[in-house]
Amino acid sequence: MIKEIFKNLAAGKNVISKADLPALSAEEEKKLIDLQKGIDRIFGKSLRIRQVDAGSCNACEWECTALTNPVYDIQRFGIDFVASPRHADLILVTGPVSRQMELALKKTYLATPEPRIVVACGDCTIDGGVYKGSYAVTNGVANVIPVDYYIPGCPPSPGDLLSGFLKLLVTITK
Amino acid sequence: MIEKVLDKAVKTREHLNELYIEISKEHLKKVCMYLYENKDALLRLIFASDEREIDGSFRVYYVFSIPGVDRFFIPLISLKGDDLSFPSITELIPSAHWYEREIQDMFGLVPEGHPDPRRLLLHEAFPAQSHPLRKDWGISDDDLKEWGEGLARKEKNEFMKVEGEGVYEIPVGPVHAGIIEPGHFRFSAIGETIFFLEPRLFYTHKGTEKHFEGMSFTEGVRLAERVSGTSSFSHSSAYCMAVERMAGIEIPEKAKAVRTLLLEMERLYNHIGDIGNMCAGTGLAVGYSRGAVIKERLMQLNDRITGSRYLRGINIVGGVTQDIFIYAEDILSILDLVTKEYKGLMKLLLGTVSHVERLENTGRLSKDIAMKMGVTGVAARASGSNDDIRKAHTHLLYDRLVFEAHSSARGDVFARMMVRAEEAECSISMIEALFESSYQGGLAEEVKEIPQHASALGYSESPRGSLFYWVMSDKNGRPLRVKLRSPSFCNWPAVPFAVHGNIVPDFPLCNKSFNLSYSGCDM
Repeated sequence: MIKEIFKNLAAGKNVISKADLPALSAEEEKKLIDLQKGIDRIFGKSLRIRQVDAGSCNACEWECTALTNPVYDIQRFGIDFVASPRHADLILVTGPVSRQMELALKKTYLATPEPRIVVACGDCTIDGGVYKGSYAVTNGVANVIPVDYYIPGCPPSPGDLLSGFLKLLVTITK
Repeated sequence: MIEKVLDKAVKTREHLNELYIEISKEHLKKVCMYLYENKDALLRLIFASDEREIDGSFRVYYVFSIPGVDRFFIPLISLKGDDLSFPSITELIPSAHWYEREIQDMFGLVPEGHPDPRRLLLHEAFPAQSHPLRKDWGISDDDLKEWGEGLARKEKNEFMKVEGEGVYEIPVGPVHAGIIEPGHFRFSAIGETIFFLEPRLFYTHKGTEKHFEGMSFTEGVRLAERVSGTSSFSHSSAYCMAVERMAGIEIPEKAKAVRTLLLEMERLYNHIGDIGNMCAGTGLAVGYSRGAVIKERLMQLNDRITGSRYLRGINIVGGVTQDIFIYAEDILSILDLVTKEYKGLMKLLLGTVSHVERLENTGRLSKDIAMKMGVTGVAARASGSNDDIRKAHTHLLYDRLVFEAHSSARGDVFARMMVRAEEAECSISMIEALFESSYQGGLAEEVKEIPQHASALGYSESPRGSLFYWVMSDKNGRPLRVKLRSPSFCNWPAVPFAVHGNIVPDFPLCNKSFNLSYSGCDM
C-alpha cells in the first residue's frame, strides 16, 4: 500500500494540477481574492456557513456544493459549510420555505449563535419565485425569519454566490 | 391480447399509445391482478383526478405497461356521490402503497383495506380534512391559524415502533449535516446494525400539482423545470411531451434531436457526479474531487450552450428555443476530454480496494423486492431489471440510436455505481452519434388551441429513472389536472429494504448510491 502511494506520488498520478481544471475567468479570480481580504478582516479568517434547504428544488444546493469543488475551492479562503448551526456565522437559506419546513427553519435559526447573518439564496427565497402563491409555501424566507441579504438567481451560479458573499462583506463593513 | 380485461370494460378510449379502459369498482382488483400476474405488467403510476366539472365524478387511473409492448393500459374507475372509497390493491401489488396514500391525502378518497392508512404527504402543519387537489378546497382563515408554528397537532404522526432488547432509535433530520435536502430518518438499530428504517419525507412539499392548475399549459414548463433541480430537462421534456400529445402537436425533427441530445447530456453530468459523490460516502477524497471536476466541466459546458447550468429555458411546449447543434465543436471537444478524465476516474476507483470493498455487498436490494416495490431507473437495473423507458416506450429519436439497457443482478451499491458508469459511457456515444446526422425542420411548432377535456401522458427516462406526467385540460383549455410522478417517488419506499442489516455508518453511502431527489418526490 505504502509502496503504491509513493509510486503514485512519484508519477504525479491522481493529482489534479491547476492546468487540468476548467478555467475561471480573470474576473472570478479577482472576486475570490477580494473575498478573502474581507473574510480575513471581518471574520478573523474564517466564515462558517450553515446551509438550510427550506423547500428548494435542489439546484441551489448543488451550486453550493460546487463552491467546494477543486475549481472554486472556497475552503482556501477560510469559508466552509458546517454541519451544525451552532458552529455557524451565517445561515444560507434556499427554497420558498415550504410550510412543512417552516418550524425546522425557525429552530435552526434559533440554534445559531448571535450575531447571525441570514442570507437568502435563489429567486424563490425572495417571494416564492415560481412557487409564489402555492398553498404549501410561505412565499419567501423573510416571512419566517429576518433576512439580511439576498442572492438572486435560479439557481445563482457559484460565481454569483461568490459575488453575493463579497457584496455582503461590503455591506457589513459599512 | 387483453381480451379478459376488455370483457369487463364499461367503456374504452384510445389516444395514441394509451388505452383507457373504464371498469366498475368491483372488477378493479381482478383486472389489475390479471395485468400484473398474467401479463407481467409494470405498474407505472396511479393517480386520481377531480373531474366533477365534467360529470360529477372523481376518477382513479391505474397506468400499466406490459414489457415489450409500446402501449399503456390504463384501467380507470369513477367515484360518484357519497361513496368516495375505492378498493386498495396494495396487498396484491405492493408498489401501489404510496400512490393510494397520496390519493387519500390529496383528494380525500379512501383506499379501502389499505394496510397503512396514515397520512403521507401532509404533515401536522395541515389540518385534518385538508384535501388540496379537490377543486373546491381553499385556505380558510381558520386553516391559517392552525398552520405553521402554532399548529394544533391534530394529526400526530406515529412512527412504526420496533421493540425488543437492545433496540434503540436514532432520529435524524430534517436538517442534515451536509448540503442536502431535508427529510427525517428514524432508524431502529441493534448495536451498529440497522434493523428498520422509516423515512419521513415530504418536508419540501410545495403543492406543485395544484400550482400547475393555476398556470396556463405554456407557463407550466417553467414550473416543471423547477420540480427537481438536477433533472430539470427530463421534467420539462416529459411535461412538454404530455401537453404536445394532448394538443395533437408533432414537434419538428430538429426539436426532437435537441431534446434527445440534452436528455443525454443531463444523464451524463448526473451519473458522473453521482459516481464521484459515492466517494464522499467512503471517504475517498481524491475520487470525490475528480468526479466533481468532471461534473463542473460539464456544467460549464451546459452554461455555454444553453445559458443555464441546469439546462433550463430550452424546452417550450411545441419544441425548443435554441439549436444546440451549432455548438458541435465545443460539445465534442469537451466530451473527448471528459471521456479521458472519466476513464481515469473509473480506473482509480476500481483499483482502490478500500473503496470497492465498502461498495460490494452493501445496501443490497433483491430483484424480487425491487420489482414488487416498483423501483425504477438505475436502482432497478442494478437489481436485475432491464426496464428503460427509452426502450420500452421509444420516443424522440431513441429509435434511431443503438443502445442497450445496462443491468446487473448484484443489487448492491457497487452494482449501482457500475450501471451508472456503463450508462454514462453509453450516453457519450449516443451524443456523438447524434452529431453524425443532420435534422430537418424548425425549432418549434406553433401551439394551436388546446382541446377541451383532452388528456395525455408524457414520459422520459431521467437520470434517476422513469418519469411521467399526465395532463388534462378543462373546458377553457387550461389545466384541469397535472399529475407528475418522479422516479424518486417510486424508489424511496425501497431504500429501507436496501439498508436493512447494514451498519448505520453505511447509510449515507447507500443513500448516495440511490441518489434520490427529495423535492421531486415531495412535489
